Amino acid sequence: MSIEFLLALMSGAALFGVGIYGALSQTNLVMIMMGVELILAGAMVNLLAFWRYLHPDNPAAQMFVLIIMTVMAIEMAVGFGVAIARFRARGSVEMEEAAELKG
Amino acid sequence: MTAQTFFIGFFGVAAVWFGIVVFRTFSMVRSALALLFSQTALGAMFLSMQVEFLGVLQIMMMATEMTIMAIFMVMFMMDPGGLGKMDMTHQKRLSLAVGIVSFVAAVAVAVFIDWGPLASTAPDAAQQTVDLGLELLGRSMLIFETAGITILTSMIAAIAVAIQPLKRNDKS
Repeated sequence: MSIEFLLALMSGAALFGVGIYGALSQTNLVMIMMGVELILAGAMVNLLAFWRYLHPDNPAAQMFVLIIMTVMAIEMAVGFGVAIARFRARGSVEMEEAAELKG
Repeated sequence: MTAQTFFIGFFGVAAVWFGIVVFRTFSMVRSALALLFSQTALGAMFLSMQVEFLGVLQIMMMATEMTIMAIFMVMFMMDPGGLGKMDMTHQKRLSLAVGIVSFVAAVAVAVFIDWGPLASTAPDAAQQTVDLGLELLGRSMLIFETAGITILTSMIAAIAVAIQPLKRNDKS
């Protein structure tokens, strides 16, 4: 197996693991969003590694990366919209104080 | 070891290291900047993998996105400078365990799966951009258009959620 391919997959796996840790351990909404960004970054690295080392003739994988970038932007826009609404209503974006959102 | 291998490894380690720093520092501004460096290292890693267009796009997009994030951090955090060393985490052990299990599982998949023959060369930068353009405006046009409409809708929805509600008797 190519060492470059393995390095890319390992980096993606590590970013995914760090992102999962961040998304689960943080209490602040903006920090949770940072964790989600890292999870998506891990997915992006894997997709590009698959394109580069398995199917360089098929640009569909690059298109998927563009879709992930779109998802990242949407996550930020919606997350900050929710953060502003929450901050205006309660003066904090701490998720431990948002137990009523459980439904 | 070729220069390409070295740089892919170097930027990969840098991206992961700055990703860890995001959750280790008490300063929220430093967290946002660490995420910016992590995403930029990822962009540099894409460039090392000969994916020029997406590498440059990643660096440009994430620089803007993380700068906005840093501004929001200063706006919303109780202690954006981290001077009070407030611990803003919960269920640390569980999160760490889930993170490590996810990492090990992903590594196991990467190592133990037979990926078949690997390509040694990639199309040049100009050809990649042409191919991606034809893909986006051809077979994947519907997906691309859907992504565009979705991002527009989410922008409008985010503004609608964030806007200050007017009082009933407010004439302005």
